[in-house]
Amino acid sequence: MAATSFPPPTPSLSVLSALSTLRRGEERLSGTFDHAFDPADNPWRHLGALAFLCLVVAVASGAIAYALYDTSVSGAYQSGLRLQNDPTMLGRLLRGLHRYSADALALLTVLHLLREAVRGHYRGVRWFSWLTGAPLVWLLWIAGLTGLWLLWDSRALYSVTATAELLQALPLAPDLLARNVLTADALNDRFFSLIMFIHIGVPLFLLAAMWVHVQRLSRPRLWPPRSLAIGCLVTLSLLSIAMPAESLGPADTGHVSASQSIDWFYQFPHPLADIASATAAWLLAFAFTALVIALAVLPRMRRSSAKGNVSLPVAQVNLANCNGCSRCAVDCPFGAVEMIARTDQRRHPRQASVIADLCAGCGICAGACPSSTPFRRIEDMVSGIEMPGASIASLREELKRGLASLDGPDRVVVFACRNAADHAALRNTSTLLMRLECAAMLPPSFIEFAGRLGATGTVIAGCREGDCEYRLGDQWVQQRLSGAHEPHLRAVVSRDRLHVIWSGQDIAQVQAAVASLRGGMSGKSSNQASDKGTERVTHSSEAHHD
Amino acid sequence: MADSAKLPTPLRYLLQLLAYAAFAAVIGFFSAKPAYRQLADNEAVVKLSFSHSAQLRQPCRERSAEELAKLAPNMRSKQDCPRERSRVAVELDMDGKSLYRIDTPPSGLHDDGAATVYRRLAIPAGPHRFRARLADGPDGKFNYHHEADVDLAPGQVLIVDFLSGSGGFVFTHGR
Repeated sequence: MAATSFPPPTPSLSVLSALSTLRRGEERLSGTFDHAFDPADNPWRHLGALAFLCLVVAVASGAIAYALYDTSVSGAYQSGLRLQNDPTMLGRLLRGLHRYSADALALLTVLHLLREAVRGHYRGVRWFSWLTGAPLVWLLWIAGLTGLWLLWDSRALYSVTATAELLQALPLAPDLLARNVLTADALNDRFFSLIMFIHIGVPLFLLAAMWVHVQRLSRPRLWPPRSLAIGCLVTLSLLSIAMPAESLGPADTGHVSASQSIDWFYQFPHPLADIASATAAWLLAFAFTALVIALAVLPRMRRSSAKGNVSLPVAQVNLANCNGCSRCAVDCPFGAVEMIARTDQRRHPRQASVIADLCAGCGICAGACPSSTPFRRIEDMVSGIEMPGASIASLREELKRGLASLDGPDRVVVFACRNAADHAALRNTSTLLMRLECAAMLPPSFIEFAGRLGATGTVIAGCREGDCEYRLGDQWVQQRLSGAHEPHLRAVVSRDRLHVIWSGQDIAQVQAAVASLRGGMSGKSSNQASDKGTERVTHSSEAHHD
Repeated sequence: MADSAKLPTPLRYLLQLLAYAAFAAVIGFFSAKPAYRQLADNEAVVKLSFSHSAQLRQPCRERSAEELAKLAPNMRSKQDCPRERSRVAVELDMDGKSLYRIDTPPSGLHDDGAATVYRRLAIPAGPHRFRARLADGPDGKFNYHHEADVDLAPGQVLIVDFLSGSGGFVFTHGR
């Protein structure tokens, strides 16, 4: 299989090992949610989209709350009370939705960050999304913290004072902020106007920064699946009614409560600064930010310093075989393929062009190219776009040689995504393992070709559904096999002999699928292979779905 | 996706319900709990806070005729007043023992701004005798003094401010 292997894009073995362990745990956790949710609706795989939904809810509810808010010393606290005491419950719902969606946003953002970190999504072509995510955390914290101040209850006074104490630990910050809330007389209406300005302005920056955050993704999943969105909204609404987000007692500059209720999602730095020190809290925050930035920047710096020594797989366009159909550009998950005006003399108006910096090397473009078919009768088989070191010609030869070397009447070929698992255990005298960078790298015509070469069954094994390492691989495979997306698998190909399995690291499911195919070949029922995550393609129009 | 390996639909809905309930529980709980204990039950708070422009480090002096002649016509001010201000030293004692002391520089790029201080100190509640001293001159001698007996209830705040226009230290209860 050496012909189709890429150099692993990893910085070091120790990091790889640690990531691998964490990744296994993360996938196990993700798989746990699959017991309750459809894989496509698994909330663990939509953390970023759920966070965006919560941001929209917070902004929308905040816009209404702003219309009802009085930005004055005497009116700020009363504004909160008016909403929570509204006899129609709408005020309570509004306050709860605003507060709890903001809290959920913080929680989901942290989980999203951790998940992407565990999956190593801070390097490669994802460096930009990772790096631009760092300021989002800061903006989110500022927006959430200042929102809690606007209520001007005892928690707000505590937080303003504690934040002032935090800020005075910075070299350039004056000690004056705390004096604004030192006594009731020191406070004036302009304080609330200023805080409101920050509380509205920062989320606007947050929205803009989120737009930048997903700029290098093709078809970014901004919104969660409908069922998940409804579930999330209903949950937040019920929480708002059952556990109202209420103001504490009014801010009293003459008294400090021994025990202070705080919102841990945004006010956690206050106890931290109190227990350690404000300087320690800042150092921790800056160290965290530096780590986030370093994870994205250092591998790029290393790569730059080793110019020419590190060969990363980048798709190559072969103009002689490119008719400018744009399927590769449509399917690329990172927008690395663009269609430009033709640079040769052929009659097609456009041609594909690869932006090397954006290319993840997944090979999905090669799987999308109509010229990536093993049936072509040309001497030098070159596809319109393909991966160096994993060309269509080499894939074809590997398949031919591999199938010829198998013994027995029931020869099964497994096209396996190398990012899902190490499927080496599947290889035996009657099973050919073809490892691909992504399952969607496989042109559907190869399934038919394998049958022509004598394969009695084919298995496609990839990451868990909705969890593709390259974002859209499972989606394209399913749509290509169902005929919903080009290039499609021809109807003449028997779907009984094809199993598509989104099993991730669970190789047992792939083994069961192989065994099922063998059982089917022997006249037994093939249903035994239909484990969780296994898809048996029976007709191009029925078995696959998004 | 084969459905045969999935859990029964009612069970899946039940698990979804549990997942949403857990989500709501985490959000609802940590939005207000657990309470953070910032003071012991029998503690009160002293906030030492002021913003004060100290005396100039050097007094103004009259410029000589030669010095004035060297200056541009629009810059010929008769007096030369250095902008730099002195440091401000403050000592706060409670019941005869030092509670807090600080020697702080003036703010500003040219050391010509006000010296600002804010410190929050937790102390045992009850009756205490406080003595505050402040030095803001170039000689560093304490030129402002104030003493007061204050009985602080648990959680009560004593603000020790310094307002030169009001004659020096002001002890208030924050309200």
